Amino acid sequence: MDDFEAFLDDGGIVEADDDMPDAYREAVFRFIELHANSELMGGLTEREWIPRTPGLRHKMAVLAKTQDEIGHGHLLYMVAADLGCKTRPDMLEDLFAGNSRFHNVFHYRAKTWGDQVAIAFLVDAAALATQQAVFKNCSYGPYKRILRRIIAEEGFHMRFGEERMLRIAEGTDIQRAMFQQSIDDWWWPALQLFGPDSKPDDKLLRWHIKSERNEVLRDRWVQKFVPLLHGYGFTIPDPGLAFDQEADRWMVGSIDWEPLKRTLRQGGPDSARRISEAAANWADTRWVRDALERVSRRREAA
Amino acid sequence: MRIYEVFLKRKGKQEFRHAGSLEAADDELALVLARESYVRRAEGDSIWLVDRDHLVVGDEEFVAPNADKPHRHNDGGRVAERRQRIHEENS
Repeated sequence: MDDFEAFLDDGGIVEADDDMPDAYREAVFRFIELHANSELMGGLTEREWIPRTPGLRHKMAVLAKTQDEIGHGHLLYMVAADLGCKTRPDMLEDLFAGNSRFHNVFHYRAKTWGDQVAIAFLVDAAALATQQAVFKNCSYGPYKRILRRIIAEEGFHMRFGEERMLRIAEGTDIQRAMFQQSIDDWWWPALQLFGPDSKPDDKLLRWHIKSERNEVLRDRWVQKFVPLLHGYGFTIPDPGLAFDQEADRWMVGSIDWEPLKRTLRQGGPDSARRISEAAANWADTRWVRDALERVSRRREAA
Repeated sequence: MRIYEVFLKRKGKQEFRHAGSLEAADDELALVLARESYVRRAEGDSIWLVDRDHLVVGDEEFVAPNADKPHRHNDGGRVAERRQRIHEENS
């Protein structure tokens, strides 16, 4: 392990067929599986909004975003499966049985268009920041290469989110009130996406999978979004939020991590519905997989 | 089902480069999936797919002997040394 860590410290890149310590393989696998699950769950949620998105241009963009998210899941499951810890069908079965994790934000329900905009703006920005921090110095080559593609596309999503946010910010009182409610509901889940402060012995940092600590990424996001939302006249649902003149920084109040922990146990407000809908979708599309299997077997026989 | 390795090339730029992999029932469906998974925003102008089972692989052990062939290299050190000596003799 010492040699392996020295290799990583020296900028070494690990490929799927290389020898690697089991603990590293397991850690990379779990991280990519979580990412893949989140892309898939996010894509399924996005899909619900295609018919409800206002305006043809944005409706088509949401259609494209749905395809992007499902596509990201597809690519990530391939990368994860190549690590040999679990097969792709096993990962999906675990997810739909509620035995696998996905990001906290997908355990909440997007009730209004304002929620969708808040997700595309606040949550996508948070997800993008964490992905960029992994991409920057990721020691696992196949993941790094797929992340380049994913990050480029998440950038489109975030810009659409910002455009929609600006339209609402300059909209009617009813629209602004709707978006204020969405900020009130989504501020904390978005902030908690970064996770609690990184532990000093965090293996993901030690093995150059992550390159920045959770609290650093979270703080950078806070410094960006607090002035932005205030600038458009919205408030942030954190009574402890204050500007520290000396540090020239926004300081958030104490963070209640209980809601995040509940989502890790599939106990979020919308966890059960999300998982059962995803499982139902998987069951409904079984005929496609069966048809593909038949094609595959016919080709093998020919 | 088969696993395919995906290579993309941009017209007038670059060589074919490895982009990732995918799983598909046959070549035709693999091409459609490659286009929809890897080339949604013109990341390439043409696609190569290679069935992973058809890859011929030379591993590190096979390649290693060629790392120890100094007679195939010349770093120019001896020439520089000789030039330096001639220069000093003539000055």
